Amino acid sequence: MNEAPVTEAEIQAHVDGRLSPERAAIVDAWLAKQPDEAARVASYHAQRDALRAALDPVLDEPLPAALDLRLRETAPAGQLRSGHSALAASVAGLLLLGGAGGWTLRGMDTPVLTGTAALAREAAASYTIYAGDRARPVELAADQRLTLDSWLSRRLSRPIAAPDLDAAGLRLIGGRLLPTEHGPAGLYLYQNAKGERIALYLRIMKSDDKTGRMTRREEDGVRGWTWADDGLGFGIFGDAPGDFLHSTANMVRAQYRRS
Amino acid sequence: MIALVQPLIPALRRYARALLRDRDAADDLVQDVLERAIARWHQRQRLSSLRAWLFAILHNLAMDRLRQRGRRGHPTSIDDVPEVRLATPPTQEAAAAQRDVMALVDRLPEEQRSALLLIGVEELSYAEAARVLDVPQGTIMSRLSRARERLRRLMEDDEAAASRPALRIVP
Repeated sequence: MNEAPVTEAEIQAHVDGRLSPERAAIVDAWLAKQPDEAARVASYHAQRDALRAALDPVLDEPLPAALDLRLRETAPAGQLRSGHSALAASVAGLLLLGGAGGWTLRGMDTPVLTGTAALAREAAASYTIYAGDRARPVELAADQRLTLDSWLSRRLSRPIAAPDLDAAGLRLIGGRLLPTEHGPAGLYLYQNAKGERIALYLRIMKSDDKTGRMTRREEDGVRGWTWADDGLGFGIFGDAPGDFLHSTANMVRAQYRRS
Repeated sequence: MIALVQPLIPALRRYARALLRDRDAADDLVQDVLERAIARWHQRQRLSSLRAWLFAILHNLAMDRLRQRGRRGHPTSIDDVPEVRLATPPTQEAAAAQRDVMALVDRLPEEQRSALLLIGVEELSYAEAARVLDVPQGTIMSRLSRARERLRRLMEDDEAAASRPALRIVP
């Protein structure tokens, strides 16, 4: 056994978990006989935990668009900053369009919609705006699925997860949070091998329509299905045959009921 | 390039936030880092750590900003202002405790703070941290050791101060 004395560098490496198992065992044995040094090492561990607890939440924050490289794929180097303001402006524009023009300011003669009928209108508008955007349809892409799920779960105060729609030939592209007059809504976008997209839209329903049966919808030429289960409303919309959307909606509903 | 750099962005944000202690300033800094990384992508040495390269760009830009800030006087971030400690719910207490540890880290000399954050939080190897800070690895080890010891004493003083009664009867 290596009887070389324990060095200060080794104590630090021990705190960082970077010693070989053999050497770590020697340092542990040495610390067992040195209560002062053991207390020092314990304090260093506590420091590290406190620092991680203070700083790790930054990792879970959604990435601002300005820091998301996938959103600047087409921007030439050197023009990124101006590209970003333009992007920010266009995103703000879309939000305005979606939040105001899309469904809340439809005209005074439109009856006020509630329940899944209102959800249908929001979901179809979101589909039109975001699925049609070839350059940047989502704010968080599928490779950040867990971050996206936890973001939406936090904002909707419900466990939200992107369902697995492989069986329908649909792959997750990503998603985003949306503002509605009924509170925050989540949008997931999926795409098939042909590049056709469908949107899954979710938000919390008001108290009087916590459940709603599966209903066929058509909003401004966009087809889809809506339903509500246990206070969570769902909409599946897309430019796809109605029966395909229906079977996809059933697949989503089954996965949420299982979870 | 995007596939290589994108996964490192959250950690870059974390280190920037820890150094600058201001969300907007930190994200702005990371944006500058990304732009430099894109502009200098061909200059990086392919065989060495991309992570160390990006953190080095970030560290150097952060030091420039801190120096500028130092010349203008250190603006007090809202996070640095201790909130009323009385009758706060537990989550706020936890948040206050986390702010406290960062407030103590702020009192470390800059070179010790960087070593502590790069190794303890960002989990860079000692060799990578040495590259980021452009010093020999032995220097990293001694800075790390001094940082941890100094922070330990600051934490002990802080605890002692917290447990001391606020009002004392002066004889």
